[in-house]
Amino acid sequence: MDYILSLLVFFPAVAGLFGFLIQRDAMRSYAITIAIIELIFSLALWANFDASNPFMQFTEHASIVPAFGINYLLGVDGISLFLIVLTTFMSLVGIISINPNTKDLKELLIALLFLEMTMVGVFVALDAILFYVFWELSLVPMLYIIGVWGAENRIYAAIKFFLYTFAGSLIMLVGMLVMAYFYFQATGVWTFSLLDWHMLQLPFDYQLWLFVAFFLGFAIKVPMFPFHTWLPYAHGQAPTVGSVILAAILLKMGTYGFVRYSLPLFPDASVYFLTPIAILSIIMIIYTAMVAFAQKDIKQLVAYSSISHMGVVVIGTFALNPEGITGSIFLMISHGIVSGALFLLVGVIYERRHTKKIAEFGGLASVMPRFALIFGIMMMASMGLPLTIGFVGEFLSLLGIYKVSELFAILSGTAVVVGVVYMLYAYKNAFFGEVTNEKNRGLKDLNGREYTTLIPLTLLVVFLGIYPKPILEPVDNSVKAMVSLMHQKALTEEAREVIPEIKSEEVK
Amino acid sequence: MSEETLLYIALFSPIVSSLFAALFGTVPKRVFVGVVTSGLIGLSFLSSLALFIHLQSGSGVVHVQMFDWIMAGDFSVPFGFLVDEVTVTMMLVVSLVSTAVHIYSIGYMEHDKGFNRFFSYLSAFVFSMMFLVMSDNFLGLFIGWEGVGLCSWLLIGFWYHKHSAGWAANEAFIMNRIADLGMLLGIFLIYWTYGSVQYDVVFSAVSEADGEILTWIAIFLFIGAMGKSAQFPLHTWLADAMEGPTPVSALIHAATMVTAGVYLVIRANELFALTPEVGLFIASLGAFVAMFAATMALVNRDIKRIIAYSTLSQLGYMFVAAGLGAYWIALFHLVTHAFFKALLFLGAGNVMHAMNDELNIMKMGGMRKVMGWTAILMLLASLALAGIYPFAGFFSKDKILEVAFDGHYYILWATLWITAGLTAFYSFRVVMLVFFGKERYKDFGFHPHEAHDYMIWAMVPLAVLAVIAGFFEHQFVAFVSNVLPVYEFSEHTHHMVGQLILVTSAIAITGIAIAVFSNMFREGVFSSAFRNTILFKLFDNQYYIPKIYEEVITKPYMELSKVFWEKVDMKIVDASVDGIANILRSTGENTRGMQSGNLSYMLRWMAGGMMLILLFAIVYTYSDVLLNILQGVAK
Amino acid sequence: MITLEHYIVLSTILFAIGMYGVVVRKNLLMLFFSTEIMLNAVNIALAAISNHYGDLTGQMFAFFIIAIAASEVAIGLGLLIIWYKRHGSIDLETLQSMKG
Repeated sequence: MDYILSLLVFFPAVAGLFGFLIQRDAMRSYAITIAIIELIFSLALWANFDASNPFMQFTEHASIVPAFGINYLLGVDGISLFLIVLTTFMSLVGIISINPNTKDLKELLIALLFLEMTMVGVFVALDAILFYVFWELSLVPMLYIIGVWGAENRIYAAIKFFLYTFAGSLIMLVGMLVMAYFYFQATGVWTFSLLDWHMLQLPFDYQLWLFVAFFLGFAIKVPMFPFHTWLPYAHGQAPTVGSVILAAILLKMGTYGFVRYSLPLFPDASVYFLTPIAILSIIMIIYTAMVAFAQKDIKQLVAYSSISHMGVVVIGTFALNPEGITGSIFLMISHGIVSGALFLLVGVIYERRHTKKIAEFGGLASVMPRFALIFGIMMMASMGLPLTIGFVGEFLSLLGIYKVSELFAILSGTAVVVGVVYMLYAYKNAFFGEVTNEKNRGLKDLNGREYTTLIPLTLLVVFLGIYPKPILEPVDNSVKAMVSLMHQKALTEEAREVIPEIKSEEVK
Repeated sequence: MSEETLLYIALFSPIVSSLFAALFGTVPKRVFVGVVTSGLIGLSFLSSLALFIHLQSGSGVVHVQMFDWIMAGDFSVPFGFLVDEVTVTMMLVVSLVSTAVHIYSIGYMEHDKGFNRFFSYLSAFVFSMMFLVMSDNFLGLFIGWEGVGLCSWLLIGFWYHKHSAGWAANEAFIMNRIADLGMLLGIFLIYWTYGSVQYDVVFSAVSEADGEILTWIAIFLFIGAMGKSAQFPLHTWLADAMEGPTPVSALIHAATMVTAGVYLVIRANELFALTPEVGLFIASLGAFVAMFAATMALVNRDIKRIIAYSTLSQLGYMFVAAGLGAYWIALFHLVTHAFFKALLFLGAGNVMHAMNDELNIMKMGGMRKVMGWTAILMLLASLALAGIYPFAGFFSKDKILEVAFDGHYYILWATLWITAGLTAFYSFRVVMLVFFGKERYKDFGFHPHEAHDYMIWAMVPLAVLAVIAGFFEHQFVAFVSNVLPVYEFSEHTHHMVGQLILVTSAIAITGIAIAVFSNMFREGVFSSAFRNTILFKLFDNQYYIPKIYEEVITKPYMELSKVFWEKVDMKIVDASVDGIANILRSTGENTRGMQSGNLSYMLRWMAGGMMLILLFAIVYTYSDVLLNILQGVAK
Repeated sequence: MITLEHYIVLSTILFAIGMYGVVVRKNLLMLFFSTEIMLNAVNIALAAISNHYGDLTGQMFAFFIIAIAASEVAIGLGLLIIWYKRHGSIDLETLQSMKG
């Protein structure tokens, strides 16, 4: 178990390299096998994970550039554990979901395996430079996935995606370098280790500047309003599997960054910027939900709904209390599963009809009842109905922000209303009514490949909605440890008031 | 059998039933699906009955906790269930009406393609409703709360091929969601005030919070109740919800789900008792809705909508009682209302079935000759609804009027009193127009027939209860008084009871008499003079509220969404991002000429650059001299 | 009396003439002449200033420049002749193979 994290990171990439040697026909089964093994690794990681220990586990350390304290430093805690499992799981689902008739299937699968490496890498890296390397590397396979296998306008979408997120992360890189320099000034030691950085108490005005630099990088990735416009293009043009991975995992990297970097490094700045960020999140929730309502393309609708839900994640994170942060991390996982499933479902009809226009459909419930059922369950989960996975995170996030401000809670709580409006509207137009379009009359219901991807997701949605404890408990422990660290580090009176003190016996 | 087992059977047999029916969801009709689900719901009823007997014997409240649900930070909530006197009353009502409706539906849905699917949804609803009433904490209640909302959506939109059904389903869900936001906020505030959402923890510490917070909790919770119980201004969905199959209207939109709001107020009575100003608001709104809905029922021609408005009106009555602190009376009216209103709806279902889903009562008439049993059952239900002695509605409704009188809220009392007259009038208008008078249906070519025997039999228990339930008033008070405070009438009211009953019964009988006579002489058609009054137009168009919502909320929301997407998102946000990219691009495009590769051109640039640097050097070196010169020029 | 300033002014004028030639002339040979003029303008300035300060370094530089200019002209003219043989023109406009 000592090197399991390195194994998790590099296994898919190495396997991807070997993929070049595999015959075209055998590639699909090869990639699925690799993804299954990777999933088993991550499950083994979970099985061996000590849920009661809130700190980093399975840490690995090797020097890369000792003079500047750049290290190969890996580790997981409750916060990152489930994002890793989600990554391996959704990658497997994504790989299975690909139609075997796709052109250049082999290259697509290799790109996905590389992507899996970078995503796992982001979640396990504890060294800022290492984190940054994985963060940027993740853009490359995605650029290809959108640019090669996308729809008509794919080049524009791919370049927009790449340049936009790249610009943001460059600012973040500058922030990281400055942070390391501050650390050097304060202690005389160069280090990019996040664990060391966590211990540093930065002066208030330094915190503000650094917070902004990191914020830009993360906010574009999330994507927060008004940096969100790359997302609808990327989703609109990406192939189904690209959208699934993008929505399920890549977006989570941004919010994970908030939790891992912004909050513990800059507790005072987090409190200082709480109000503007909350306002941005509320705009994100309501505004993008309304934009989603106006969409004519069902995939764009799901894309905008993703943004709206990420608004709840961000506002939960910046509730700065364990309820809110735990809730937002849970919501990241649940949104990963649900939005991934929704994109898969959209892919199902796209594959049959080669159109995503809602107006082209209607009455699908009578032609494809099982498809309608699963879509309905996922829709309910997306709306946050209790006993589905979507409720737990949304509830806790909003519960957390209520502590900070009643007004924010009321405004962001409208998510439960506006989220319903566009979803039900789209569902009604696509599934209810008579079959008006003759082309829809002969549509086949789900096939075996689609069942293999959708049924596990459906079961998870229900199971984790009823029994979220296996995930909530480790997450909550780590979050409590982090919040208590933030409370200790906080300089200003205001921050100490907003960030609650965790009783020491609760942090095991 | 232990109480815990009974509790689990009562709670989980409906979900087993639902999943069982779901297995056959996509295959053609199987009669045994209806039979098995009815049996399982019946089992739930029997378990509830056993629990009732257990509580009746005084052996205490049943409280179980299954396992933890959500735990984060200090927040912790388990799946916990509590059966006390109030819960068991609700459980009995829910499971009894559900059983009747399930059996009835076997006949009602016999020709429907979605027969199996229907039973799956219906049983899922029963499960949610049981969950709602049995939960031992606010969040569990919220699970049931949303669950019934979902099932209501599924069932209203059951005939999804109809555009109006899909629309009505969405409307109901969205309006309920708006109210649920209030409920959620109430739960948040409860948690941050008391540190728990368990009923026992919250209620034992309820008075520790300061008054303002309590008021807010009460307001938030009541907003939730307003949505589910369709109180003004969130009432429009209930009438539109009549798009669903009629058994659904009987179960969900009359007997059970819509009373969930009343249940919430009763359940949280410790809290509402401390906030009398909110209570008074609830009572006033209730009285307003009672009258408001009754006026809309007066002139409507759609049999189901009339009954829906009467439900709305009766919910108003319940809220008056609950708001004024007479919780047991609210619960009592809830129970009796469930019986006679479900009966009324099922009767209406028979009529519709006989008339090929025709809803217009002007096209019926004289139908007692072909469907005698239905006529009798509906007559009984209408008498109960009108509040005529000795039917159940008389006892419960009269008590509410007494409460209003007792609290010196004479305006509320007068409103309810007039409403009682209106109620009697419109319910008998329906009875007269449907079952008596000229057989107008013949003109429209209908061939009505009586429903199946077992459908009638399924209605009989409800009919019996609608007749006799009122006589158990004293036993009921004794039973629920363990949980609910007993409302004490003042001495003054005590003396007046006789007169009050007389006055109320008089107006009810007058209402019936007007309905009967107007039908005899004018066939129930309103005079054209009345039809032209503003009042009639207001009633007939539901006070133009649906239209106002359409114009003020729905359309602007749609327009604004379009503007946000097309104008703001595409033209401003995205365009400014592309704008930055375009600036960089055009800068490159415009300056590429420099790199033409032409030597003389490049030499010119070199010379120009050198001059510029020279100039810069000079200016920089002699800047103070130049500054002096410039100052001299300026002077 | 001829002072330093006269030399400097002469040098500047020559330099400007050379520069003008560099900028406007299209013929490569003329460009060589122009650069030669600019170099000599610098030489004059160097020699004059060197004389003024009584420091021989400047004159040393001037000699260096003359030597380098001579070799530069030799190589440059050689290249120019080859270019002329290949392309039949030494006009600057034709000397363009890179396009931005």
